[in-house]
This record gives sequence, structure tokens and C-alpha cells, in this order.
Amino acid sequence: MAQRGYHDIGGAPAGRFLPTDEPWHFWEKQSEAIRNLLGEGARRMASLDEIRRGFETMGEDLYGQLTFYERRLEALVRILEEKGIVSRADLEARVVAMRERESG
Amino acid sequence: MPVPRFTVGTAVQVLDLPIEGHIRIPAYARGKIGVIERCCGPYLNPEDLAYGRTGGPAVHLYQVEFSQHDLWPEYIGDAEDRLFLEIYEHWLTPARPPSWRQAS
Amino acid sequence: MSAERGAGAYLGTKVLLDREEGGPAGYYALLSDALRDELIGLGLITAAQVRREVERLEAPGIHLGARIVARAWMDPEYKALLLENGSEAAERLGIKVGEAQLVVVENTPRVHNLITCTLCSCYPRSILGQPPAWYRNKVYRARSVSEPRKVLEEFGTHLPADIVIHVRDSNADMRWMVLPRRPDGTSDWSEERLQGLVTRDSLIGIAEALQP
Repeated sequence: MAQRGYHDIGGAPAGRFLPTDEPWHFWEKQSEAIRNLLGEGARRMASLDEIRRGFETMGEDLYGQLTFYERRLEALVRILEEKGIVSRADLEARVVAMRERESG
Repeated sequence: MPVPRFTVGTAVQVLDLPIEGHIRIPAYARGKIGVIERCCGPYLNPEDLAYGRTGGPAVHLYQVEFSQHDLWPEYIGDAEDRLFLEIYEHWLTPARPPSWRQAS
Repeated sequence: MSAERGAGAYLGTKVLLDREEGGPAGYYALLSDALRDELIGLGLITAAQVRREVERLEAPGIHLGARIVARAWMDPEYKALLLENGSEAAERLGIKVGEAQLVVVENTPRVHNLITCTLCSCYPRSILGQPPAWYRNKVYRARSVSEPRKVLEEFGTHLPADIVIHVRDSNADMRWMVLPRRPDGTSDWSEERLQGLVTRDSLIGIAEALQP
């Protein structure tokens, strides 16, 4: 038997349906744009199915804590790190530097 | 490319394959019996794509029709309410037609 | 919200996953910039490519779905093609479908279709753009398949009792769109005017087209 992943929620108990919407932030579009560029024919570095595997294996706690686009970006980073294309430490260093610039 | 194993109108059962890793067959459909609604043609298998294997082989994909009452024991709704999923050929096996299909 | 156990834990410093407007930029907003800069530095992408791709993502929208639907309401031959091969029909109007295949299903006096994706949030993005937040959230993904009528009612869509519901769970390569019923009293309307009755929600099947 195949396992039931935590993302596989069809028919699961859930609360009342509230039709909400949210703005689509630039960083979310940018992350999707990067994924699309990396998935294109010549590069083929991150397919949608790899992204799905990424968020299906990041652990239920993290998956549940993140929004849809956060999950997708987190998964993309994990897949790129798995392939040795980027390192998390390098990305984190850039994040720290940006935060310092922001607060400075 | 082998010819499709199933044709429109054929009754099929969704297998519960012991595949670990990324799959696209929701748990709620595994083991259930439905009827082929449409043959979608060959597509690369997401179970390969999720691990960066892009060389195939492609597998036939089918739209499969299920009775909602077969999927959810406590379903409230019309006897003719239906749910449709796409299932890759290796997840399907021939089955006896469900009662709702014999009646129509 | 702090992320003691979450992705923020990768950083040695305290990370804010603050999503409030005007708050400090969230971790993922910064990570997105960091990844862009890193990949540009590696020569894998360029800033111009990213900008163009963002524009491409922003271009689709409900107006494209509305054009397809209004044409199908006006032209039976086009409607037949649309139901047979959605991608080809879209491309006939100059609308390029990026996904593997667009499949359009027709609402009739007997059948109402509802589109969902329980495993992630598949949606015909290349035509309709970004799905609404509720489409991506747990409640809709979980309950749209097992309690469609209740979900429709909570949304405010009350279907007649003699209508059957067909749910399409977008779990693989097809991307689904609903062809809503043409509202009564529009027989002398122009195609352009009809487009105004087509809403995003009617293309997902969570609602019907607007009544004139």
C-alpha cells in the first residue's frame, strides 16, 4: 500500500468554507517566475513534480505552517540544494545581509 | 508507444501500489471502481519526473468516472453525482462494471 | 509569528515570518530575492528574464476565460470544438495554453461541474491566472470532493435539487475549466456584452454566471 501523504487531504475533516482572497505579492510572483525559468527546456533544473516532491517531504509541521507560495519556494530551494546548484548557507547569508541593510 | 490498455466505457479498479515517494493518485480513490470516460494519451510519469528522470517512458493517462457514493460512505447527494480523476495506466486493473453503470 | 521549528530555524538569528503589511519583510520574501541574486550570480538566469517572466505570469486573467465562454455561447461549432479539445479552441482565439491540456466541461440544466485540486492547487493558470486563496486552502481542497453541495451552499450557491454535481479533481495533467450555462434573457446580447457575465467563480464552478 502506498502511504497517504500529509498533502493528500481530499475528504479530510476541515472547517467551514470561507471564500477569502489575498493579494499576490511580488516576491511570490518572482519565486514562481524563477521556478518557471529553471524548469524550461534548456535548463530543466526544477520541474513542477520535483517541487511537489519538495513540499511533500519537508515535513508536516513546516508544510502546515507555510502558505502556498512559501511552500513552493521552500521546496524549490530544497530541490536546488539537493542538486548542488545552490547552498542554503549562501542564501541565508544573503538574507542576513538584506536584513542588516533593512534595519541599518 | 504501446496501445492504450483500456477503452472508453471499460470498468477499472484503482490499484493501491506499494510505491514510496511522489505519486499523484489520491488516497481516497485507491481500491475504488470506476469507468473510463476518456483516454488522454501518453504523458510522462510524475513518479519519474519528481526525481528528475525526464527520459520516459510515457504512460497512458485516463479520465476515470466514479460514483460519489462509492467514494464516500456517508455521502449526501444525488445517486448520479460523480467525481472524475485522471489515473495513469499502471494504477488501473480491469474490474466488474459498477452497479450504476449496468443500470444506465 | 516566529518560526522556531520552521524554515527560519535555518538561520542563527531570530527570523520573523511576519506577513503583516508594513512589517519587516518576511523570511520568504527575502529568500526569494536571495535566490534570484544567487542564480543571477551563477549565470543561470538574468534579471531581465525574471522581469519578463513575472510579466508573463501577470498577463492571463478571467478576461481570457470570458472570451472563450462568450464565443462558445454564440457559436455552436466553436462550442463543440471547445468541449472536444479545449487547448485547440483556446488557441483559435489566440490564447496560448501553457499546461499539458485544457479540458472544458459544460454545465447543463441537469449537470453542474465543480473544479478542484486536492493534492496541491492545480488550476488553468495560463488562461485564468492565479487561483483565489480559498482554492488553495485546506478547507476547499479537503471538502470540495466529499461534500460539494455543502461547500457550494456555504459559498452562497444554491443549486436546484434535481441537478447532479460532477467534481473534477485536477490530480494529473489535465487542467479543467467550466463552461457555465448562458443566463436566460440574453439571446439578443452581443458577444462582448456576454463576456461581462462570466466570472472567475463561474469558471471554477463554485458559482453560476451572473444573471443580467
